[in-house]
Amino acid sequence: MDKKTVTTISYLSRLMIDKEKEEKIVQDLDNIIEFVDQLNDADTSDVEPLTNPLEKTAKTRSDQITAKNLKKELLEIAPSSNDDYFLVPRVVE
Amino acid sequence: MTIKYKTIKEIKNMISQKEISNKEIIKEVFDQIQANEHLNAFITLNKEPALKKSEDLDNNPSDLPLAGIPIAQKDLFCTKDLRTTCGSRILNNFIPPYSATVIENLENAGCISIGKTNMDEFAMGSSNETSFFGNVENPWGKNLVPGGSSGGSAAAVSAGIVPAASATDTGGSIRQPASLCGITGLKPTYGRVSRWGMIAFASSLDQAGPMARTAEDCALLLNQMCSHDEKDTTSLDDAIPNFEENLNEPLKDKKIGIVKDLDLSSLDNEVVKVYEDSLKEFEALGASLIDISLPNLSLSVPTYYVVAPAECSSNLSRFDGVKFGRRSEDPNNLEELYIKSRSEGFGDEVKRRILIGSYVLSAGYYDAYYKKAQQVRRLIKNDFDKAFSNIDVIMTPTTRGPAFEMGSKGSDPIQMYLEDLFTISANLAGLPAISIPNGNIDNKPTGIQIIGNFLDESSILNFAHMFQTSTNWHKYTPEGVKE
Repeated sequence: MDKKTVTTISYLSRLMIDKEKEEKIVQDLDNIIEFVDQLNDADTSDVEPLTNPLEKTAKTRSDQITAKNLKKELLEIAPSSNDDYFLVPRVVE
Repeated sequence: MTIKYKTIKEIKNMISQKEISNKEIIKEVFDQIQANEHLNAFITLNKEPALKKSEDLDNNPSDLPLAGIPIAQKDLFCTKDLRTTCGSRILNNFIPPYSATVIENLENAGCISIGKTNMDEFAMGSSNETSFFGNVENPWGKNLVPGGSSGGSAAAVSAGIVPAASATDTGGSIRQPASLCGITGLKPTYGRVSRWGMIAFASSLDQAGPMARTAEDCALLLNQMCSHDEKDTTSLDDAIPNFEENLNEPLKDKKIGIVKDLDLSSLDNEVVKVYEDSLKEFEALGASLIDISLPNLSLSVPTYYVVAPAECSSNLSRFDGVKFGRRSEDPNNLEELYIKSRSEGFGDEVKRRILIGSYVLSAGYYDAYYKKAQQVRRLIKNDFDKAFSNIDVIMTPTTRGPAFEMGSKGSDPIQMYLEDLFTISANLAGLPAISIPNGNIDNKPTGIQIIGNFLDESSILNFAHMFQTSTNWHKYTPEGVKE
């Protein structure tokens, strides 16, 4: 883990790291990665990954609309919106 | 008449005997919240609607299972028309247009939601020191942490403000604060309780559950919290037993698994003694102790700190300042809007976990970390499956020690992560587990954890209840032992 890696993953995460905290964050992340490297002690050859404790296939349901249309309520709680859309800074000149 | 330190069962009795009115109960709760303001246990109160509901109940008495019972709701559950912050600046102004299924279930059972409890930001923390709304204080001592992430819920119950609270547990967030605050906290089997309307942290680990003064009350609450919910694809549609039915089953011939791989040498001597005394109590109740092996248990914390951040980095990508929550002022363009809204809105611990998650999921590292952790997760689950073929429950201490001082874990995040050493494995394997008070060291409570087999909440509630009928550790309060 180095500054360059942290800059890359910060951008992937859409996060900005304060300059004065950068060194501490690099150090913390480095320690955490070193800590989780213990996982290499386990022999996992031929072990199927476990993504969820239930391991059930998601159930299908009939293709019928059950949700209520909350358009008005949802647009109302947005930081910026008009009658139909969420508003953001202009992206196309 | 007071409801301070009373159980749900006792309060129900007081209501039915007309010893206290519903309105008097709710008024007392808000007086207690004010008297305990220094605990900082609440973020948002629901005073007027709560008082209104209590007046309605006085006019039209109800026989619903939780009628009139005041419950504090963790601020991670969406509550319709009531601010829901998840302890974060980014949701500072978020008022959900709907309620979580758990909240609906509890309110449909008659409970009165009195407010939203403080918590570690997005449930990431074990001491309630990462909330945007400030630290929560443990009622057992000034400057002591209540544990986390459900620190506000635990403090509110521990201080006797409410008989019960809702909470959530991703790596120990119900059991560890329950232990540090001297109350009972239950994490159900993954899938037992709907996650719909819970603000997601790590979706394959998150599970909601109750905090209360007794196992008996937890059983009553769990009966109401559970339901099969089509809105949550991981919600189980298995039969839901009546959790109050088997509480009094004798423990004779029952088997308790004791993990021989567990290294207790790093624990305080007194903590080990309290734990061993509890095991003797269970033996006196007729249960026998069986050595079991969980050889991969020591890898549970590192496994968790890959899986949980990975899922968190994905779940928290929804907070972008566009659709809800807080937006940064005057961004120059859309990308800056995302970056500034997130950077200003999240605290340091949340950022750290998002970064770790992005790292372990990124190209070139996915197999080495994320896939590897999921494989070890399988090994840990297999260990439990094997152990449970021969035993009823597993017991461990809940935490490494009693409540610690705020700020005492220093600035090394790993020291805080190790706080969940005993609790994390139940989340990885999806198993139910409960923490009950089992001792007191220098006027600070300790807890013992009982882990059950998949879907077997009934057994752990039975063990916990039998312990509470023969001991009085659950009656200890910060103001002395309850009559």
